[in-house]
Amino acid sequence: MVQRQGEGDIRPNGRGWSLRTYMSLFMVVLLAVAAMAAFSVRYMSGQDARAAALADTNFAAAKGAAQLKSGFDQITELSIPLSQDPSIGQLFADPTKCKLGYAPLGAFTTGRVDLVRLDGSVVCSSSKAAAAGGVSPYNNQSWLASTAPTVIAPVLDPVTGGQVVVISYPIPGRGALVWFLDLTPIGPLLASEFGSGTHSLEFLITGANDQVVIARSIDSAKWVGKKLSGAPIDSSASSSTSPDLNGVSRIYGETITTAAGWRLRVGADEAAALSVADLSANRFLTIILIGVGAMTLMVFVVYRRVAEPVRRLSLVMRRSKPGQLARVAVGTGAREVTDLAQDFDKLMVTIESELADRLTSEEKAVASEHNYRSLFESHPQPMWLYDVHTLAFLRVNDAAIAQYGYSREEFLAMTITDIRRREDVPKFLELTAHPPAFDKSGPWTHLLKDGSTLEVLTTSHAVSFGEKEARFVMAEDLTESQRLELELHQSKARAEASAELGRAKDEMVSLVSHEMRTPLASIVGFTELLTTREVTPEQRKEYLSVMLQEGHRLTALINDFLDLRRIEGGHMTMSFAPADIGALIKRVVELFGKSGGTVVTTSLADDLPLVRADSDSIFRVVANLLSNARKYSPNGGAIVVRAGLVDGMVEISVQDEGLGIPHDALAHLFQKFYRIDTVDRRTIRGTGLGLAISKNIVEAHGGTIAARSAGPGQGSVFFFTLPVGREQSHKGDVLVVEDDSGFAHLLQAELATRDISSVWAVDAETAEQLMIRNGARAIVLDLLLPGLSGESFLKRMRERYGPNIPVVVITLKDLDISENLALQKLGVTGVLRKGPGISGTAADLIENALAAQLVAS
Amino acid sequence: MRYRTPPALQILRTVLIADDEPSMRLLVHATIESDDYAVVEAADGAEAWAMVQKHRPSLVLLDVQMPERTGIEVLRSIKADASLNATKVILLTSKAQESDVEAGLIAGADFYLTKPFSPLDLLTRVEEALQL
Repeated sequence: MVQRQGEGDIRPNGRGWSLRTYMSLFMVVLLAVAAMAAFSVRYMSGQDARAAALADTNFAAAKGAAQLKSGFDQITELSIPLSQDPSIGQLFADPTKCKLGYAPLGAFTTGRVDLVRLDGSVVCSSSKAAAAGGVSPYNNQSWLASTAPTVIAPVLDPVTGGQVVVISYPIPGRGALVWFLDLTPIGPLLASEFGSGTHSLEFLITGANDQVVIARSIDSAKWVGKKLSGAPIDSSASSSTSPDLNGVSRIYGETITTAAGWRLRVGADEAAALSVADLSANRFLTIILIGVGAMTLMVFVVYRRVAEPVRRLSLVMRRSKPGQLARVAVGTGAREVTDLAQDFDKLMVTIESELADRLTSEEKAVASEHNYRSLFESHPQPMWLYDVHTLAFLRVNDAAIAQYGYSREEFLAMTITDIRRREDVPKFLELTAHPPAFDKSGPWTHLLKDGSTLEVLTTSHAVSFGEKEARFVMAEDLTESQRLELELHQSKARAEASAELGRAKDEMVSLVSHEMRTPLASIVGFTELLTTREVTPEQRKEYLSVMLQEGHRLTALINDFLDLRRIEGGHMTMSFAPADIGALIKRVVELFGKSGGTVVTTSLADDLPLVRADSDSIFRVVANLLSNARKYSPNGGAIVVRAGLVDGMVEISVQDEGLGIPHDALAHLFQKFYRIDTVDRRTIRGTGLGLAISKNIVEAHGGTIAARSAGPGQGSVFFFTLPVGREQSHKGDVLVVEDDSGFAHLLQAELATRDISSVWAVDAETAEQLMIRNGARAIVLDLLLPGLSGESFLKRMRERYGPNIPVVVITLKDLDISENLALQKLGVTGVLRKGPGISGTAADLIENALAAQLVAS
Repeated sequence: MRYRTPPALQILRTVLIADDEPSMRLLVHATIESDDYAVVEAADGAEAWAMVQKHRPSLVLLDVQMPERTGIEVLRSIKADASLNATKVILLTSKAQESDVEAGLIAGADFYLTKPFSPLDLLTRVEEALQL
């Protein structure tokens, strides 16, 4: 049953602050920001004003100094050539020729230039007043006596009575060229040119050591030439505020030292600068104040018109109960709030009436749901609902609980994978990933709580459960008849599998018949041609050679096939004996490795142990692999046969650089009649049975065979393994060296009846290894052996072990006298010709020799 | 109207032998050797189809089991090409199974011979097919 929310559960707010708190916080932040702004404007504007004034003064000082320097430079440029002119003597002799004029030079707007004799009298002047003097107005002036250009300031000009700077350029032996430049206009000039602006700049030029005022922009006439009682400004600070000569506080710019040793200071009126700053600061403060006022007002209005009404509304809503609704009176809220209140009013009314309707229909629904629920709950079959996404059980019925043993709570805490065996889960998930709308499946094995299992068939369909996508499942216990039906189904499958096997067999027969029909068709066809037609001798020969070739092919095919059947059927007996695999490989290579264009090399490990093998069969395997390597290397290339110890087995591999093997063919190579069907192999003949036979042989030895290839054109490697022979089987009193396994077995049996143990070596190389490892008290030796001959072996034995080991020689052919003599020289106990009963004779000889050995020792 | 080659060049008809076994090709070639037609050979299915397109033979002696394309596939290609409707096909099969023969006859083979076959029998079939 859906729980109805309790009326008392509506809480004023779950999280967050009230609007009132937000607004208070907002006000606090606003006031803090305003206070900080006001403070910084007040404080920072003064700083800014000072910095601006200082920048102004520095700029003006630089400009003024440049103006002064320009004046001095122009005077020097004019004076030096004139004072050093050799013809200047004529001017002194005849003053009437002398014409001097003055034009403003840089900062020096007024002044004059005189040519003066040593006695101080004026030769000529740019000023009529000075020239008219006639007398010597500059008598005894220090600059007249100087031999170097001199600058003196301030000087009271005896002619004009004004303060001037005197710049004199001596003319040796005659007098000097002297400039008298008025100081009084310099200050006002600089002020008018560079002092414009808001800071009412003072320009002050002092002489070296700040002893005297040379020029000043304020009260110029009064101050020029005045001696100073002390430094007017602290000259150690490049920028500082200090009182000027009139006692006005000024911000002074950088002090500039000009060429004449003068100092130029520019000072800005501090009070004026600061008053401008104050004015702008006050304007800012007014704006901030008005802003704060406006914001406060807005906050207040919002609070009164929104927050308060909402709070009241919320209070009323909390108190109101269905059936006895209080009408909400919000009063003077903002329009949105009053609208909300009215909407709420309407909603309450609607809810009131709806609720009344709902209560009756809900009662009906409960009754109906109860009916359906009991259908589900009391159904005798287990049923459940699960969520298709989470796979969690949503509902289970009583039958499920009873049959599965889990309680309802346990069920609802599980997913439907929990009632399945772990190994079934992946399959189950795969099947239920995209289930049809309606599905009948099974049998499934379900896990019960007690650990036992239940076989069921399930019927399921998709349903929606609330907002969830769910599936309704009915589980049906598997009945006996259904079980039988299932078993029938399974046995049908088995029958189909056996039919499949039969088809494979048919296929095999058809394959063999096809393989045999082709050569047979040639043989039969050509035979008929030859018997019914006149043919030329050349044609006859050609046809017969094809017939022979195809006949051989048919024979090989039949032999291979029969061999295969024999090996597969376990009818081929293998004569396992210790074998020197290295010698065997060398024999194969010697026999089949020399013909054709390919070069076959061997790479054999030094410490190869003896293997346990049927030498003839293994010889056949190696020969088959080598022949294949050669056949499938139509363009030649190296072939390497290797043998080595790998993981306790001897591994033999044959590697070629031939056609290679397509990747998908590797798995089928060892199947009967499998031939890779590509253009480059078309002319390469084969029965398609060689590898299948090799595989059977190797597996009969307890080894494995496989092939590797990087792909077509990349060559291939075939390799197989053989077990290492057990040391115990290598020991025996008598070493039987015999390549004919039948005779060897016979001989060993004869020896055994005489209580003589023996070990069989299939070739001389293996025999040599066995001698080295275990020795032997006597040897039975066949002369005709596959590799090293019996005679050579005997010679080596005698060289190594001396003449004392009895050796009985068995031979297939009659020996001539020289051969007999050679054997006698090697000290053989007897020479026997192979024939019926000879094994017994050989055993007798050995027995006697061994007995004689015992007597001798 | 198709353009025709001059009649003089059309007198000699062509027979194509398609078999992957050289001995088989030799046998068939030797059997049907004649002045009445030229004989050409193909060693696999793909080559056979190429030769059919090149020589437009009057008769194709087609081995069923060949690499690249089987004889049945080549036969179907021949029958699907309307310009080759005069080309007759005799299948040579080493599979005596009915299914193969049936497939060949359904695909439109004119006759079939099962290996090993009699060369004289083959010659008779060839002469019949060429209406000599």
